[in-house]
Amino acid sequence: MEDAEEEEGREGRRPAAAGLIEKATNSTRPEVDPRLLKAIKSVVRHSDSELRLSAQTLMSLMKRDHSQVRYLALLIIDELFMRSKLFRTLLVENLDQLLTLSVGFRKNQPLPAPAAVASVMRSKAIEFLEKWNASFGIHYRQLRLGYDYLKNTVRYQFPNLQANAARIRQERREKEMRTKEILLKKFESLKANLASIKDDIQSTVDEINECLDIIQNKEDNVPPAPVDEEEIEEFHNAELRQIRLDSLREGEKVQENSENKVIFDALRELYKVLVTKHLVAVQEGISVLIRVEGADNRFRDNTLKELIDIRNHLQSMKRKCEDSGCALAKATTAEEEDIWEEGTLESFANGQSFAEEKNSVLSVASTSGKIEDKTSEGGSSKFTVEKQQGGYRSTESNPLRSKLMAEAPVMKWGSFLDNWGSNRDVLANQRGLELEGHWGRVDYDAVIPAEKIAELNVRATVYKEDPVEIQPCRAPLKKGGLCPRKDLRVCPFHGPMIPRDDEGKPINLDPTEEMQSELGGSNSSVEEMAPDLVEQLVKQAVRNVRERDKETAKKRHHDKQDLKRAKLAKVREHNEAVLRDAALASTSRSSYIGEGTEAASGPGSLARNKRDTLASMLKKKETSKDRLAQKLLSTRARDATVKQLTAEGVSNYMEAFPNQW
Amino acid sequence: MWKEIGDREFGKLRPNLFSNRIKSSRIASLQLSNHKEIVSSHRGSINSLQVDLTEGRYLLAGAADASVAVYDIQRATDHEGDGLIAKHRSLFVVDKQHEHGHRYAISSATWYPIDTGLFVTGSYDHHINVWDTNTTQVVMNFKMPGKVYRTAMSSLATSHMLIAAGTEDVQVRLCDIASGAFAHTLSGHRDGVMSVEWSTSSEWVLITGGCDGAIRFWDIRRAGCFRVLDQSYSQLGRRPPLQTRSTANKVAITKSSSTAQSSSVKSRSLQRKNTNGNSLKHAGLNRYSAQVKGSMKQRLHPGMLSTQDRATAHYGAIIGLKSTGDGMYLLSAGSDSRLRLWDTESGCNTLVNFEITRLQTSKPIQLATTQDSAIVFVPCMTTTKAFDMWSGKTMLNFRGHYENVSCCWYSAQDQELYTGGNDRQILVWSPANSTTGEVDEWRKGQAAALDQDNWSD
Repeated sequence: MEDAEEEEGREGRRPAAAGLIEKATNSTRPEVDPRLLKAIKSVVRHSDSELRLSAQTLMSLMKRDHSQVRYLALLIIDELFMRSKLFRTLLVENLDQLLTLSVGFRKNQPLPAPAAVASVMRSKAIEFLEKWNASFGIHYRQLRLGYDYLKNTVRYQFPNLQANAARIRQERREKEMRTKEILLKKFESLKANLASIKDDIQSTVDEINECLDIIQNKEDNVPPAPVDEEEIEEFHNAELRQIRLDSLREGEKVQENSENKVIFDALRELYKVLVTKHLVAVQEGISVLIRVEGADNRFRDNTLKELIDIRNHLQSMKRKCEDSGCALAKATTAEEEDIWEEGTLESFANGQSFAEEKNSVLSVASTSGKIEDKTSEGGSSKFTVEKQQGGYRSTESNPLRSKLMAEAPVMKWGSFLDNWGSNRDVLANQRGLELEGHWGRVDYDAVIPAEKIAELNVRATVYKEDPVEIQPCRAPLKKGGLCPRKDLRVCPFHGPMIPRDDEGKPINLDPTEEMQSELGGSNSSVEEMAPDLVEQLVKQAVRNVRERDKETAKKRHHDKQDLKRAKLAKVREHNEAVLRDAALASTSRSSYIGEGTEAASGPGSLARNKRDTLASMLKKKETSKDRLAQKLLSTRARDATVKQLTAEGVSNYMEAFPNQW
Repeated sequence: MWKEIGDREFGKLRPNLFSNRIKSSRIASLQLSNHKEIVSSHRGSINSLQVDLTEGRYLLAGAADASVAVYDIQRATDHEGDGLIAKHRSLFVVDKQHEHGHRYAISSATWYPIDTGLFVTGSYDHHINVWDTNTTQVVMNFKMPGKVYRTAMSSLATSHMLIAAGTEDVQVRLCDIASGAFAHTLSGHRDGVMSVEWSTSSEWVLITGGCDGAIRFWDIRRAGCFRVLDQSYSQLGRRPPLQTRSTANKVAITKSSSTAQSSSVKSRSLQRKNTNGNSLKHAGLNRYSAQVKGSMKQRLHPGMLSTQDRATAHYGAIIGLKSTGDGMYLLSAGSDSRLRLWDTESGCNTLVNFEITRLQTSKPIQLATTQDSAIVFVPCMTTTKAFDMWSGKTMLNFRGHYENVSCCWYSAQDQELYTGGNDRQILVWSPANSTTGEVDEWRKGQAAALDQDNWSD
């Protein structure tokens, strides 16, 4: 009873595996439908007869004269081969046939039509054979034979995946070992030199302290800069106050002069040593300690702690030095300048404070920028003097300025104003021109030249007509009043628009007068002239008009044709652009996409469509789209290789100098 | 199997029959051996394979890269995969580097039939070399008029040491190792001779097959050939039925072993006539004997009738000859992709239809038969096929070579088949359930654990 049922079930399932396989291989996609594959596996797993049947089916599919079918069949074969022992024993019997059909190593049996799929299948088959040989070769002489034959007799290039992976792993391990060794060496040297480094640092720090002490003591007797209360009141916004305070603080600082020049020099020297040597050394020591492993941890931790302390100390010393004015951090000045620029922009509106503003900017900028310039001037007096000078200058520049302002074109605000008139090359990164907020590597060679920037900044403006005030007709109306119609040239009721006075009488302008007089003249002369002459004249006039009309018509025709042509060109351009986009979007499978849309648009069932596409894969077709895609692909491939090469270079560099990254 | 052993012990089963049964069952299960692997040291196609006739241990292989190698097929040189695969590397190789080595492809390499101290190689460089196996030195050298296609030595010869050589030349030469000179020059073929075979029943009878499609029988004691096989001269109706034939063969074998030396074909045929004392076949036998008489008469007259002299056995060249173990039948393969079975007594074509699709035509091939002449192994392009000798039905297909197979050798001792092909491989085909050492069994179990179903989902 049960047997019968089972038998029945098997009967029911019998076509299942074969049918599923047929269905799975009847597709144009580059991989087997995972759901179908799963179904095949689950069916085949529970029954040996199914497995035998599917092996037969797969082998017969491999004989199909279509590379796509063979390729999909090969993928299924691989799946089953890696899983079932029975399948292996079945398949291995005909391995030479399978290899002939999938690798196509025999001259008289080349792979069938879609050449792209065929080449993919060949490489896949070789890869599979290698994998099978690696995993099961020991149990199947046939596998070993096939592998050996393809490798040593036909001399196919096997991908050698496992060996490659092993090699890469080995290399990485070696690299790590090397880095570790270097680190360890550094650690050892650090261990040895730690005391001397500390001594050095200590001595430098002491010297700096002494220098600072001397300076401070010397300058103590200089009275602090007087603060002008009234002037402070003039600064209304916080920035200005800030600037003011900064400048005051600057003023408080000890300035270098001929007396303490030696000390300052010494201090500067010491500062340089501190920054370039000790701080760097300590930083390096810290990084080495962080990265090193295995050595006695206690020592490491202690040293690390110590070094961090030293570093903090050094940084504070550095700050002290900077405060004392012997050296300046460039970054901070740059920032400050930025702020000032903003200030000028903001305070530009209120002209009164502009002068003040400007000269304060000048003074602060100069004090912070170049101390040496003002060593001759007194700390406090200099400020007012400069201010006066500045005020004077600004008043002087005002008329010039207003003149220029009157001349200058009024621009709408835009981002192009950011680098208005700048003539610098701009750094570019892969995201475009934006360099702020970009923390990655900056390639200083990748610049966009200034001309290019200028070119990019060319602005398009839309022509705007000046608003014209249309005058009313103002012809006198019968019921009194004036005609309120506003027409540009001709009023439909009162003829051409002419300037009129308040009562509506036309103000005779020169041309009209002349015309009228001319008209009058002609009238008189017409009467005098012979009627035939008039007739002739009229005819001539008519002919003239006709000719002109004809000409204009012709011209219009030409224009129309030109327009049409231009339109067509535009359409063509657009089409090409669209095609290019499509080619870009789809890679090598552009033909697939085309077919897909074809299939979608056509009627007919899905299966038929698929068969159609399978058949159509065999057809060779070379369209302009394909050519375009090919070209694009080749450039893309070139880009990719270039990228890969650079990446390789970077990795080579990293390998060559493992201690520098 | 245990039942059969029991039967044999009780005497129900004769030892001979028992061993034959086991052998035939083993032969029926021949397949590509995973456990025995001959590591080919040749860089050209294997043209000739022979296991020595005395010990059944040393495989001699001659290849197209002018190399000869000897392999020990009993003892492996090394193992691989936890002893799963026994590798047999060559004991020695003689190739072009050897000072007396052949310059061109070796077409034939045969052992001296009496022991393994000598072997003979024939090459396309027109030379036949006789080598001392132990020193791998040339002890004798024959210069032939053309490329040597095949050499053969009689396995039964007690009174001569002749190497029969088929060459490009139309004449077949017999080289005498004892004197170092050509003993005979047999002329009759109209084209080169691709295959040479000594009769396995008489030490004086040599069979040669030429590119002209003729198979000639020579009695080396007389001048001229005494028989030319004719493919149209058949004896289908006069043949005893298969069943009786095979038993008759066996009887013949036993008789031949019991009778000391059956030296001539004639005595053989008489013997045969006696054994087939069947009333139904008398008429046929009478004609049969008349035929034999006819041939006898012709043997008396060396200049045969020109019509008979022009008879052909195949359309095209004869590329392989093999006489059965008892010497009563001869198999011939032709470039017309036919395999024919001839009755050596009558010289008749037995019209057995072997299901061959295609044979390679350019090179001589080497056929092999089992000891009891029940199965013939034929290299058919990339596969080797086993045919039933009497019905011509395909029994087994040996697929494994990736290029044409040109030679095969059946080792009766181990029931193993060796095939050599153009893909430079020598493959071993052994019975499926070949029992190996006890120790290996466990190891094999371990290794086989890797080769299991592995369903992840």
